[in-house]
Amino acid sequence: MALIVVVDDEFLLADYLASLLIDEGHEVVTAAHGRAGLQLIRERKPALLITDFMMPLMTGLELAQAIAADAELADIPIILVTGGQGLIARDHGDLFDEIFDKPYDQSLMIEAVKRLTAIPRNEG
Amino acid sequence: MVEHLARLTTGVPGLDAILGGGFVEGASYIVQGSPGAGKTILSNQIAFSQAAGGHPVLYVTLLAETHDRLFQSLSTLSYFDNMALGDKIKYVSVFQCLRDEGLDSVVKLIREETQRQSAKLLVFDGLLNARDRAETELDVKTFVAAIQSQAAFVGCTVLFLTSTRLQESNPEHTMVDGVLDLSDELIGERAFRRLQVRKSRGSAALGGFHQFVINDDGVTVFPRLEAFLPAPSIHNPPSSARIQTGVSGFDQLTGGGLPEGSVTILMGPPGSGKTSLGLTFFSLASASQPALYFSFFETPERLLMQAAAFGLKIKPLISSGAAEIIWNPLTENIMDKLAHQLLDAVKLSGVRRLVIDGISGFERAAVTPGRLVEFFASLTNELRALNVTTIMTWEVRNLFGNAGTSPLPDISALLDNLIVIRTEKKDSTTKQLISVLKLRNSAFSPSDFELKFLASGLSIASVDESGTSQIEEG
Repeated sequence: MALIVVVDDEFLLADYLASLLIDEGHEVVTAAHGRAGLQLIRERKPALLITDFMMPLMTGLELAQAIAADAELADIPIILVTGGQGLIARDHGDLFDEIFDKPYDQSLMIEAVKRLTAIPRNEG
Repeated sequence: MVEHLARLTTGVPGLDAILGGGFVEGASYIVQGSPGAGKTILSNQIAFSQAAGGHPVLYVTLLAETHDRLFQSLSTLSYFDNMALGDKIKYVSVFQCLRDEGLDSVVKLIREETQRQSAKLLVFDGLLNARDRAETELDVKTFVAAIQSQAAFVGCTVLFLTSTRLQESNPEHTMVDGVLDLSDELIGERAFRRLQVRKSRGSAALGGFHQFVINDDGVTVFPRLEAFLPAPSIHNPPSSARIQTGVSGFDQLTGGGLPEGSVTILMGPPGSGKTSLGLTFFSLASASQPALYFSFFETPERLLMQAAAFGLKIKPLISSGAAEIIWNPLTENIMDKLAHQLLDAVKLSGVRRLVIDGISGFERAAVTPGRLVEFFASLTNELRALNVTTIMTWEVRNLFGNAGTSPLPDISALLDNLIVIRTEKKDSTTKQLISVLKLRNSAFSPSDFELKFLASGLSIASVDESGTSQIEEG
């Protein structure tokens, strides 16, 4: 179990992804835009950030840049979920550990989350 | 001195003309219409057009639908550009902000984001949701006022989208600079999309309904012709020149042909030779007298076959660009779309000879037949100003005997020349009799002539008392 921050202005997507991750046993906190997300990350120091690209006040790209520039946060892995801005995002590929284009395969998402949060296989 | 306000062009064909040049920069508008009326397609078309011109756009939604689904449906439209997303056009949802923090926070967020994006256009989709959230009318008023004043401050134009038809007494209505109403209505069994500018502050908009279509290119609006062209677009003094018809004998009878820049109605029953006469006139197309055949009945292929039967060679004229056939089947047409298509083609090729076969193609496409006189006045005045010599065919029902008076006398008053063909049956033979009833500023013989269809072309012959005819010598 890990603490994951999900940042997306579209509540349907944020809520859906959050419940998916909670079902996997994670703790999830959400924010509606990059600026609120950055504040949350500073407060909670999550194990993983999953962020949307196009958001008000601070985009997913700007959020990732802010995290990379902050020595205390720079190690947090980041998954970017985009709705058509994949190309812009891939120009900054070094900022993201994974890039998912919407709509994405949720089993691949769960796999990526597992890998990046390094959940120990202790079931069974 | 009259001040002209700076405009934001919409990129929607026909809409700028209706708005008097586009939206007023920094002004705010309500775009309203029931679900499916085309608000989203229209506003995104405007957004992508601005983005393509390098002007940043902020598209704010208060809807539950995800942007991803929106992009999916927009991706079938030609204007949709994936590369503009997140760059020149930014879509943000403020649903959570509204839910968690209220209208004031939404206003603040939009202000910051408008500046961050340096937006020239702000689209706010979901005014209804903001209303639901407001506790009093004053809240909505304050919200709309705040959004529009902060946008105006940075010269950003605002479109508020809403799916209800707001009453004129609604506070939003009284505050914005303009209201665009989109509707999708049934008249008889047909559906019609119509746009109306219900309010337009600081700008003279073309009032009333304008029909529009939605296809792969998005929205195209057809400004109601008589509102769009209340007077001809150019001034052109009448010419005294003549334009030959190509019908042997006819031009001698009328002093050299039809008056240049005149409008002729050619009336007659089915099969009386209206199309053949039209094709003869059309076949005299040349580089200096380009011709257009605007057909509702016959396909281009059938017209070419019919022309070939009288030795008229039209194919080479089409290949050289001197002649063009446009065919609109008599199915569901839009009268103003037809008129704009016709006038655009006339202007593009500098058409001097025009055949409209026939007038009923327009009549059938009229949603409200009450405006036919104004419509034809506008159309024919423009054709005269463009110095186009026009023949319009008009089919009458009674096959034999007198063609009678024209079914719509108001329309015939708008015409310069009236030529009637009637079919006469005597014993076992039928013949077509042609007569000129009216010819602008011209002396003409009002007698009947026989119209003959020979392999060498059409000709007319005088009819003597005994009923035999004599070919007129040219």
